[in-house]
Amino acid sequence: MTLANDGQSLFDRAIQLIRAKDGKLTRELLREPGGFGLGQVPANKTPDSVTSMVCGFCSTGCGLTVHLREGSAVNLSPTTIYPVNRGMACPKGWEALSVLDAPDRATVPLLRSPDGNRVPIDWNKAMTTMVTRIKEIQAVHGPDSVAFLSTGQIATEEMALLGSLAKFGMGIVHGDGNTRQCMASAVVAYKQSFGFDAPPYTYHDLEESDCIVLIGANPCIAHPVLWERVTSNPHSPEIIVIDPRRTETAMAATMHLPVKPKSDLALLYGFAHLIIKNGGVDHEFIKAHTNGFEEFAEFVKDYTPKRVAAETGLHIADICETACRIQQGKRVSFWWTMGVNQSHQGVKTAQAAINLALMTGNIGRPGTGANSITGQCNAMGSRLFSNTTNLLGGRDFTKAIDRTKVAGILNIPEERIPDRGSWAYDQIIDGIRAGKIKALWVIATNPAHSWIGQNQLRETLGQLEFLVVQDMYHSTETAQMADLLLPAAGWGEKEGTLINSERRIGLIKKVRRAPGQALADFSIFKLVAHYYGVGEMFAEWSSPEAVFQILKRLSAGQPCDFSGIENYQTLDNAGGMQWPFPAEGADTATERRLFADGKFFHADGRAKFLFEEPRPLPEIPGGRYRFQLLTGRGSAAQWHTQTRTSKSDVLRKLYPRDPLVEINPADAKQLAIKAGNWVVVESKRGRLKVRAVVTPTVPPGHLFIPMHDASTNRLTDPVFDRESRQPAYKSCAVSLRRAANDEVIDPTQAEFSTLKGSRS
Amino acid sequence: MKLGDAGSQTTLGANDELSLWAPARQSGDLIADLLRDQADLTAVERFSQYHDGSPLPAHGRYYSALIPAAAPGPGQQYGFEVDLDRCSGCKACVAGCHSLNGLDENEAWRDVGMLIGGTFSLPVIQHVTSACHHCVDPACLNACPVDAYEKDPITGIVRHLDDQCFGCQYCTLACPYDVPKFHAGKGIVRKCDMCGDRLAAGEAPACVQACPHEAISITIIDVADIKARAEAGEFLAGAPSPSITQPSTVFLSRRSSVDDDLRPADEDRLKPEHAHTPLVAMLVLTQLSVGGFLVDLIARLKTGHTITGLGALSLAIGFLGLGASLLHLGRPLYAYRAILGIRHSWLSREVAAFGLFIHAAMAYVAANLLLDRPMLTLGLLVATVLAGLVGVGTSMMVYHVVKRPFWAAEIGGTKFYFTTLILGFAASLVCLGITGAPVAMVVPAALALMLVTGAKLVFEAKLQAISLKSQIEPLNKSARLLDGVLKRVAGRRLSLGIVGGIIVPLFVAVGAIGADRGAMVAASVLVLPLTIAAELCERWLFFTAVVKSKMPGGY
Repeated sequence: MTLANDGQSLFDRAIQLIRAKDGKLTRELLREPGGFGLGQVPANKTPDSVTSMVCGFCSTGCGLTVHLREGSAVNLSPTTIYPVNRGMACPKGWEALSVLDAPDRATVPLLRSPDGNRVPIDWNKAMTTMVTRIKEIQAVHGPDSVAFLSTGQIATEEMALLGSLAKFGMGIVHGDGNTRQCMASAVVAYKQSFGFDAPPYTYHDLEESDCIVLIGANPCIAHPVLWERVTSNPHSPEIIVIDPRRTETAMAATMHLPVKPKSDLALLYGFAHLIIKNGGVDHEFIKAHTNGFEEFAEFVKDYTPKRVAAETGLHIADICETACRIQQGKRVSFWWTMGVNQSHQGVKTAQAAINLALMTGNIGRPGTGANSITGQCNAMGSRLFSNTTNLLGGRDFTKAIDRTKVAGILNIPEERIPDRGSWAYDQIIDGIRAGKIKALWVIATNPAHSWIGQNQLRETLGQLEFLVVQDMYHSTETAQMADLLLPAAGWGEKEGTLINSERRIGLIKKVRRAPGQALADFSIFKLVAHYYGVGEMFAEWSSPEAVFQILKRLSAGQPCDFSGIENYQTLDNAGGMQWPFPAEGADTATERRLFADGKFFHADGRAKFLFEEPRPLPEIPGGRYRFQLLTGRGSAAQWHTQTRTSKSDVLRKLYPRDPLVEINPADAKQLAIKAGNWVVVESKRGRLKVRAVVTPTVPPGHLFIPMHDASTNRLTDPVFDRESRQPAYKSCAVSLRRAANDEVIDPTQAEFSTLKGSRS
Repeated sequence: MKLGDAGSQTTLGANDELSLWAPARQSGDLIADLLRDQADLTAVERFSQYHDGSPLPAHGRYYSALIPAAAPGPGQQYGFEVDLDRCSGCKACVAGCHSLNGLDENEAWRDVGMLIGGTFSLPVIQHVTSACHHCVDPACLNACPVDAYEKDPITGIVRHLDDQCFGCQYCTLACPYDVPKFHAGKGIVRKCDMCGDRLAAGEAPACVQACPHEAISITIIDVADIKARAEAGEFLAGAPSPSITQPSTVFLSRRSSVDDDLRPADEDRLKPEHAHTPLVAMLVLTQLSVGGFLVDLIARLKTGHTITGLGALSLAIGFLGLGASLLHLGRPLYAYRAILGIRHSWLSREVAAFGLFIHAAMAYVAANLLLDRPMLTLGLLVATVLAGLVGVGTSMMVYHVVKRPFWAAEIGGTKFYFTTLILGFAASLVCLGITGAPVAMVVPAALALMLVTGAKLVFEAKLQAISLKSQIEPLNKSARLLDGVLKRVAGRRLSLGIVGGIIVPLFVAVGAIGADRGAMVAASVLVLPLTIAAELCERWLFFTAVVKSKMPGGY
């Protein structure tokens, strides 16, 4: 080094002390080209390889490109070329990795000791304890005294293994999934109308419609990437939103119909009435492909605009105008989510939408369909393969032919397959209360937060002799009540496939090491099988991909046939593949819809018109409880019971700081409630204290509370759709008052007794 | 238990109860195998089709229409354009910015707020995404005492120089939009740079890339247009006036409803601001110091004698006050840079004025102690007092220029100068009391203290009463905070003020008149801690009860 250089660098350093335009802090935020088609990325997270997998939050099923260093994920960005999301993701997807690092991850099995504390144990003791207790209980009370609650949040291969192990291996009869809480009404509606649980659409239909009818759906917040499809629709579509609240989606609509809660059924019948009357019916399609239209037409004769206006609270002119726009549409699509499904008459409401699509011939063509937007990332996998309500592959436990078929495919004795269906979720809970269910195994779901009528549910779980919870986190409301907690690896820490709303099967991959001794749910099920002594039965189920091959065999010949998908690599190369994809003659287009040929899945190939008189609200507001409570998603940054989304600083920044209730300004004024005040909302079942948000977007006499706070379900009323057994979360009667200074709420109320577990 | 130990441990435990169900040997192996499998990361080896790296950003196909093809010309700059009709409130922009810019967990450079309003029959909610507005006349840049901001002459991007920043956080007070955020862990402020190097490489900023609805784009705007819009007050309902900094962001909406009757969703939210404790101490103690010298000068001019010990006490406390200011800095090692922004930053000017003050004060105290040159010491005392009063004035301006009504000069200045007087008299009373000064000195000092304390308390009470009825929203909110969550401290401030500034001085005066020296000394010693405590409370409330100006927030 020369003297001059030395002088130069000293001079530079002196200057740097005064004026530092570069340095360590500046370099921390440096960006550089990331390669792999990524563009610039943070320099300290430049990947050495990338891989693509599907998101594990909602059913949209976005592709995420995971940035890897030495095989481990350091960052992610939405996959540019994935056909679902085309380079976009909602905040949950962007933050999918950061929730894996939470300090409350379950890292070792925890067993509740006699003094009530949770003690870390090893896997051997955990498995021995679990199997011993379950066998003891089964020996005393019968094999069906043990039940399981599965989930829409794990891979299809895992839920198939769970369902098969539980029912064929352990003799369990009753098992259901948390998908009961979001999808059951759509499932039943499709099964009855189409002959199979088959959402007919592809997301591309959102771009091809000239009239989009959204019923009880707020995709702006709940499915932002689907809303992207609406915003890129080149046909300036009519957007008709049926929702009691003026949501973001309603704001963006060309027509918003703020119906009274649960009067959507009458409204849809009213549309049918008007369309029939005005000659908008596609008689040719009806004649060729459906049954029951005549009866339906007769039935909706009573649904005059006048009657519908009275029942929905809408103006007659708006009802007629909307029916007219639907009738004028060339490619009309009907979309619904939880506003329809989570109802005391969800099945019939979904079918009312299906009826409209059928009678106007809006099905099987681009931009049409009666389309249920699913909730969870693998609700669709659960519907086909969780082996709970349906026998594997969308079959029927009560049909001998189906049992024989499955026994043959799996090479197990036919008598291992129960010949009766499972109780639904609420019936299992009732079973616990009645002392018929003594042990419960809960996997990747959080009923102590999410189940309707929470105080009662928690009390019921407390009656169990043995509660096993399998979860990523030891801190969920349910995990804290567990006698035995099994630490599970999460999304990103294991392999498998998920099926999204448009029937697209996508891959999840192992890009992070699970913390401590957490194991993939798949591995935990393998362990249970082994310790239970039925390991041999599942010898072929050696890995998720081996199970995928079994699932292919189970799907063959069913409407959901995907036996033509060779393996995981094929799925990965294709960017996910929709079912059906049979081994012979599969249509290989990237985005496909069902029923182009007008052939439905009933034996006669015809769809059915199904209908029923609307029933009154189970709990009509009045007297002390004069407000009608609506619940639903709070923000795009929140997911269900928040076990994951509350673990990201970024997501926490993006959702409300305090639990809240939205109140119409007129009601707030009358009760002297100001925005930001703490208020007490109370139903016959419980009460909670939340902050008031005063907003005209909820109608007078109504309140809205997001479902994400654990206290919300203290209020809800455990009533169910009669056909789908889905809980009616969306509506119950409550009271509202300003909270006294520093008022502390006793969540439990008088009739509620002590909980098992530490949560108060 | 460590991961690697799992196999052996589980095998150890296997013999007890397990034999009932399965062979122990295999069980141990199975658990160990599964744990080993779990630790294997397989994605790379199994799914390698993405390995053929492409240098070009594949995402360009979506955003190429959302960024300008060329750099801005003369008289132009880049600006964010937000199509409100397309902003659905999904907030992917915030998360995308976070991930693609490698921000720390608790950081966000973009935020999404909400406006609500409309009519009974047609309610309106409007989400609003915004980041730095890369203003034509950036308040952050003007405020920064170390010149850690620069506005790019070509792109107009207002860039923060992280290594130049010393963490004074003054920009976080100055920006009307609450954009720069202090990163406590790093001791500096960081903020949006519009992904300037991405734009230079033909890539879109992270937020533009991340928005599913193409609501955010980068446009080239004429600076003259920005100024004209700012002058006309065109920006966004519920946002601070654009006239202060001339923000370059343009919010578009074709909906007629997005107009002035919309209010920020967090408008009614009352939340105390950060207390900035070191600044509370710094302001009160430097003002005490200046006040001490001022009273010393008054005594000298009135009686021909300075007050024994007052100069030294004031100097010592002055040092304490300036020392406290260092505690406020995220990177105090670089405190020497504070003077760099003197041409535009009131904080630099405050540093300069108090630098002069403390040097003059040292010279005065030394001269007074060592030299018998009365005129020189008087000259130095006058210089000290003048520099100090200017210093207090710069403190006032530091807060005045950030345009928060509660910090306006007529409020801040009154408070600061009254503090100077109150604590000056209180300090003098201690010195007078301890040294057994004559009644003729003690009583006027005590009476003066009572008078200025009373005056200040009346001022504060009147301000509170007026503010509670004020139409000026931030001032009214400050009053509601003082009447609400801050009420206890406000009450303490009042009682400390009355006791320390009025009742105890009365005892001092009575003691002096009654020649009860013991009582007088005891009371005079109490005066200073009590009045300091009272003024510290007042200043703590000055910071916590202020309402900052910001973009509309959510709830």
